[in-house]
Amino acid sequence: MKRTKIGLALCFLAGLAMVLAGIQGQKELAESGFGSENGYQAIYALSADVAEAWGSLETELAELSGAENTAADSAAEALLQEAWKGSKENLTEILNGAGNQKKSTTWKLLYLQETLNGPKVPSAVKKSISGMSAENGKAFRQALIRSMGDESLGLPAEAEAAAGGLTGPERREMLAQLIVTSQSAGNAEYTEHVNQLKKSVRGKELQRTAFRMIAGGEINWIRQIIIGNSRTVILIGVLLMLDTLVLALLMRAERNWRMDFKWIMILGIVDFLLVFQVLPVIYMVIRAFWPEGEFSLTTVERLFSYPLNWEALKNTLIASFATMILGTLIAFPLAWLVGRTNLYGKKFFRALFVLTYMVPPYVGAMAWLRLMNPNVGTINQWLRVIFHLSDTPGPLNVYTVPGMIWVLTTFYYPYAFITISRAMEKMDPSLEEASRISGATPVKTIFTVTLPMMTPSLIAGALLVFISAASCYGIPSIIGTPGNVNTVTTRIVEYVALGQQGLNDATGLAIFLMVVALGILFLSDVVLAKKQYITVSGKSVQPAIVDLRGWRTPLTILVSLFAGIMVLLPFATILTTSFKIDIGKSMLAEGNFTTANWTSIFSRGETISCLKNSLIFAAVAATVGLIIACVMSYLLQRTRIRGRTIPNFLITLGSGTPSVVIALGLIMTMRGNFGVNIYNTAYILIIAYLIKYLMMGMRTVVSAMSQIHVSLEECSQVSGASWLRTMFRITGPLIFPSIAAGWFLIFIPSFYELSMTTLLYSSTTKTIGYQLYEYWTFTSQPMSCAMAFGILLIVIGLNFVLNRLTKGEFSI
Amino acid sequence: MATVTIRHVTKCFGENTVLKDFDAVFGDGEFITLLGPSGCGKTTMLRMIAGFEKPSSGELYIDEQLVSGGKTFVPPEKRGVGMVFQSYAVWPHMNVFENVAYPLRIQKKSKEQIREAVERVLEIVHLTPYAERLPNQMSGGQQQRVALARALVAEPKLLLLDEPLSNLDAKLRETMRFEIKEIQKRTGITVVYVTHDQTEAMAMSDRIFVINRGAVQQEGTPQEIYNRPSNPFVADFLGKVDFFRGEAGNGRIVFPKMGGQSLPWNGTLTGKVLAAIRPENFCFSAEGGLKGQLETQYYLGDVNDCRVRIGETRVRVITGGYLYGEMKTGQEVALQAREMMVFPDDGTLEEMLTIQT
Repeated sequence: MKRTKIGLALCFLAGLAMVLAGIQGQKELAESGFGSENGYQAIYALSADVAEAWGSLETELAELSGAENTAADSAAEALLQEAWKGSKENLTEILNGAGNQKKSTTWKLLYLQETLNGPKVPSAVKKSISGMSAENGKAFRQALIRSMGDESLGLPAEAEAAAGGLTGPERREMLAQLIVTSQSAGNAEYTEHVNQLKKSVRGKELQRTAFRMIAGGEINWIRQIIIGNSRTVILIGVLLMLDTLVLALLMRAERNWRMDFKWIMILGIVDFLLVFQVLPVIYMVIRAFWPEGEFSLTTVERLFSYPLNWEALKNTLIASFATMILGTLIAFPLAWLVGRTNLYGKKFFRALFVLTYMVPPYVGAMAWLRLMNPNVGTINQWLRVIFHLSDTPGPLNVYTVPGMIWVLTTFYYPYAFITISRAMEKMDPSLEEASRISGATPVKTIFTVTLPMMTPSLIAGALLVFISAASCYGIPSIIGTPGNVNTVTTRIVEYVALGQQGLNDATGLAIFLMVVALGILFLSDVVLAKKQYITVSGKSVQPAIVDLRGWRTPLTILVSLFAGIMVLLPFATILTTSFKIDIGKSMLAEGNFTTANWTSIFSRGETISCLKNSLIFAAVAATVGLIIACVMSYLLQRTRIRGRTIPNFLITLGSGTPSVVIALGLIMTMRGNFGVNIYNTAYILIIAYLIKYLMMGMRTVVSAMSQIHVSLEECSQVSGASWLRTMFRITGPLIFPSIAAGWFLIFIPSFYELSMTTLLYSSTTKTIGYQLYEYWTFTSQPMSCAMAFGILLIVIGLNFVLNRLTKGEFSI
Repeated sequence: MATVTIRHVTKCFGENTVLKDFDAVFGDGEFITLLGPSGCGKTTMLRMIAGFEKPSSGELYIDEQLVSGGKTFVPPEKRGVGMVFQSYAVWPHMNVFENVAYPLRIQKKSKEQIREAVERVLEIVHLTPYAERLPNQMSGGQQQRVALARALVAEPKLLLLDEPLSNLDAKLRETMRFEIKEIQKRTGITVVYVTHDQTEAMAMSDRIFVINRGAVQQEGTPQEIYNRPSNPFVADFLGKVDFFRGEAGNGRIVFPKMGGQSLPWNGTLTGKVLAAIRPENFCFSAEGGLKGQLETQYYLGDVNDCRVRIGETRVRVITGGYLYGEMKTGQEVALQAREMMVFPDDGTLEEMLTIQT
């Protein structure tokens, strides 16, 4: 116990020391005048480079006579004195201070001087120098050194073109430059370090300071870490302090001062989430309300004095609310018909409605755009024919708020459908039978028993629809932009494109969206959880099936019609559009059929590389996510360890945060300003996917684990199997279907993600979702339809694999 | 109150026949039990009476009125019966009072009537102090009584109980068994009770229908069924019994596996027979009988549970507990049978006894 306490205290102190060192490093950095930490990193790297260069130069010098050496040394020093004239850095002092290192210091400084500020070497000369063999190079340099000391000596043939016409100091300088060029030729690392130094250390004066530090080897690795990576040092120090504090609190609460490996797992996950999820959000709040270090509402004021933002806010709230109402009104009767009646083709319809859940939202938006475009929309063309309307635009227009509500509804009603039908399947049918036997008719039973029992899941489903619609970017970006229908998410993305000021404004809107989202998450999780009725009875129940009798056929027709309009029509539109040349005409119209769109997406290297990116990012996110999910489900279901709910809470919070908010936060905090620089890399995308979708995978694994009674594992251990063997032989196989399902549940949405990718992609990390969006907006709609259908096929294929892999237990 | 008339009812789910040609009349005020192993079809019969399932063929009458059969089908809400479900099915979103009042609210009774009726029935099931509670604040036994109260409140002519006690612990089960019987006696209601627990059936029923594999094996009073089972299955399902193969003739049954020893019997069967003897019907006798060796004996307080080896067979004997001290394991004993049930042996015994689910 005492040892643990001392260990914790030491860890805490180490963290504190790191923070203090980091702060000191920041101070030194500020005093040094170097623009950023990169300067220090470059100085450290160059120290090694230059020392190595000097090492080989030294042996080359040693082969020359003493007189030649002296002449060359004084020539070198003279060159330096000339270059450093009027500098604050006193060269004589530095060289004298170097003592017996004077020679190496002189040459190193000259080396740097020439590399950064030396005369230009004609490219032909450069080429011939870099083509030399090691032996020739050495002879070449030695010749140059000799003639540096004695102008009367001739020049090597290769140097003639560069230095032939020069005399005096100019000649000497060029010769020095040629020595450097010859030695560093082909050393890409050196060039990179030099460029880094050039970028972050600006001005001759500062450069000389840097040269002194490099030549003197003043920056050792500890200093380079503390100063060159001071922000990272501070970040790790803060995490270390936080972790030890949390650990101490947990141990205190446990009244047992013993270290437990499980805490390390918990803290590992928590630290990850703290850096990539909590920090960005906190930073955004600070940026929004303390823009200049003082509390002020100027950002908010400026933001909401702009009518476009008010309109976006209004649109978002109206559209989400309407989608929620409409979606739930559609979902409840559908869930009931499909789950609890003898409707024809129930299973088929169920699969069809759930299918929409896997479709990327922007694909749906594209389809509806094609169907309800005011001019050439297919439905509009039909309606005009049927009702003999004039050829003017309309009657339907998708580029409006109602249009957007419609598209949002078609995409998000499955969320409510799935939630409600799950609850319906779980409901003990004897609850309804009890009502029947008490004298209530089937209809009366629905209103007095079924509906009230469903209320919690009905509300949960409705809120899920609301928040998904409010944080959706794909649909408003495709419908809103051409139609000038702004929403909060599209405004955020537009603001981000405007640079620094825009970033400030975007945070204001993002915080608004986040508050709405987390408020609703709280409402549905905390408030409703208390009202959740446990209706699962002991024995497995087959839900009672209501006989629709005379209504069976008409209702089936109605549902088929609905499915036709909501699901099949959009898919068919995407498919047919992908074969068209002119999107205004029918696919089968004369000369309008083409397969060029399909062949071109498969032959374009860009598309293939985007597809590869998407697959890799999604697979990495899914795999990492699943490892975390397994650890979490073990911690949550099999241990009573204190603190296991902390990561669970954070993960839930992360999935409830709107995508654009996650992405915006990452943009603002992950460009090195907090010690982590993953901006414009694949990591930032993968981390964003993880934060958003980790929960989906985790929930699946956790619930599977909760259904395996611990006695199954205990029995295996009693039979003599080790814990590990038990995990592999008993628990593993039992939860395998859920593990596979969890993996796909992270993989699929990451695969076609758009909202976060739009903000986080770079030219090398474009994904298929973003590529599709670009094609749709800038290139060709039929071609993007071909891509969309391709994505759809991949997603459906994956779902099929999942279904097979889990023996039909899971599909999305 | 009510009678239930079941005429040749058969029920199939697809290919699977779960109930074959059920034919019975449940009299007014009778406590009828449908007893059988799980999967025997008893719950299906009950659900057909309630109106949750339709018979595949045959007719069902309640009080001489056709409720299922031919083109007629009266939905559950129109049958005027009360039912208690195995899972109780107490609505979690209503408190106890509302749960119980529900059938009366459907009947659009006045507030005053509802209050009176609910209070009266809560009194019967001893739940008066719990009227305002929500179901999830109550124990299983209490929920079960809420379900019972709800089934009784509208004074149905017929009460259907689907294994209502199977989710309760042993002690509570005994109490509730008694209470249900009391309520039935007081109200004179006709009860159809489904269970797989033979003790429950014996304790409560006026008449028991033993069902196996979709067919009624025997109907009768508890005594009839226990003492005069019509086939080996019934004998085996109720109480403990050992079967012995033998040859009947000349007033005796000879048991080849007992080294050819025999017991006297004056029945009409001859040839291959099965003798079914309950352990408590064996007694140790000084005057001879089946000779064997006492293999083990377990003292259980009220009884002494012994195993006696006779030839190649082992016989279970349950005698008074006082005998434990008087006998020694390994000693020679002789057994007499006070009572014996004899069935013709058609060689299907083992098959008959396996329970199909």
